[in-house]
Amino acid sequence: MTQAASVDMTRINKFYGPFQALRDVSLHIPPGKVTCLIGPSGSGKSTLLRCINFLERYDAGEIRIDGQLIGYDTPGGRLMSGRRLREMRRDIGMVFQQFNLWPHMTALQNVAEGLERVRGLPRAEAEAQARAALDKVGLGDKTANHPARLSGGQQQRVAIARAIAMQPRVMLFDEPTSALDPELVGEVLAVMKQLAAEGMTMVVVTHEMGFAAHVADRVAFMERGELVAAGTPAEIFANPRDERIRAFLHSYHERNAFEV
Amino acid sequence: MFSIQTFLDAFVPLAWAARYTLLVSCLGIALGLVIGVVVCAMRLSGSRLARGIGALWVSFLRGVPLLVQLLLMFYLLPVIGIDVPPLVAAVVTVGICASAYISEIWRGAIGALPGGQTEAAQAIGMGPATIWRRIILPQAVVMSLPALVNELILLVKASSLVSVVGILELTRASQAQAATTFRPLEVYLAAACIYLAINLCLAALGRWLEHRMAI
Repeated sequence: MTQAASVDMTRINKFYGPFQALRDVSLHIPPGKVTCLIGPSGSGKSTLLRCINFLERYDAGEIRIDGQLIGYDTPGGRLMSGRRLREMRRDIGMVFQQFNLWPHMTALQNVAEGLERVRGLPRAEAEAQARAALDKVGLGDKTANHPARLSGGQQQRVAIARAIAMQPRVMLFDEPTSALDPELVGEVLAVMKQLAAEGMTMVVVTHEMGFAAHVADRVAFMERGELVAAGTPAEIFANPRDERIRAFLHSYHERNAFEV
Repeated sequence: MFSIQTFLDAFVPLAWAARYTLLVSCLGIALGLVIGVVVCAMRLSGSRLARGIGALWVSFLRGVPLLVQLLLMFYLLPVIGIDVPPLVAAVVTVGICASAYISEIWRGAIGALPGGQTEAAQAIGMGPATIWRRIILPQAVVMSLPALVNELILLVKASSLVSVVGILELTRASQAQAATTFRPLEVYLAAACIYLAINLCLAALGRWLEHRMAI
């Protein structure tokens, strides 16, 4: 695999008009590790994730992928050129809550498209690599299916294949299992665990506390645009010092516990 | 008394005149599709000037009756020194008029695409031109097919208006035929049958395309 990259965010601020979505967020994402972003909805975790590949523009601060600033030529300077931004994005894979597969293409074409049009591989080579990526997520037999002919879990695995086929150095996951029926969550998490085991740098916004607790190396808790705490799963889940984390976990347990 | 013979006899000359109906509406929609893409791109562009021109184009052409546009074009062209046959002027006017509606059809289809379609392409580093060509337009074309077929059928019927610039299309030919035979009911019924046949064929063609291109 290509060298896993680190992500360093320093004092990120983001405004939507007068509303401040991110407040001075600083977070180090170590290379080759899984970092989960958790917190209540509207806390800014997805916004922060989308700033990493600059799908969302941050207004102040710095985000560096392996030391290279993304989005701006210099900190606080001009926006970087579209070409340069696209070059950086090739190294950052992203998986979305709604999969965002292209419905007019087969699974194979979805994965091969970027290899052919962005990386410039000849079609045969692009398709061979796309096939390998689909094999890796367990969908080698579904290459000819259009997204509408795949289950939600299969669609999300195609989306993961589309991202990893580009051989990214970081993978961003934006609530990858939130749109799935409960019985389909497992197959997607299994693929993500396999990626983690291979040493991919992963940043995962999730409501799957089980995944965060068992797979993440680091967990960061956000609320109201602020990074409240970051630490090992044990530090965040077993004995959280902050009252806001305790309240969040308490309500999570209440929602998910049941007695017969 | 309804004369079946007159009714049947009317078909041959009317069907011959219908070639202008087909010519004007098919060339008109083809031209409208091309200009429509440009106008749509202007309306969605980042430039305020382009957006403004696009919006003006659409509101003028939708706000003025096609009949008036045809007359305007017919009398305007000689004034500015352009000498073209009436048929060309008619096709161009119909195409320009259709472009206003078609650009709105494209715009609606593109607007209806989920934003995630573009984001997924941006996330792998795809550039804007490739995103338009490979991701947005293929989906927009399919989504807008029913509306485009609708527009084509409207054009077939609206093409009767080009008779004002002296083109003997289906409706004008039936008026002439009715006047010479003194059998208006039979002749107009034959004309109605031809219009209906044309439009049923176009609708069937549209359904076939929709089926073939279904996502």
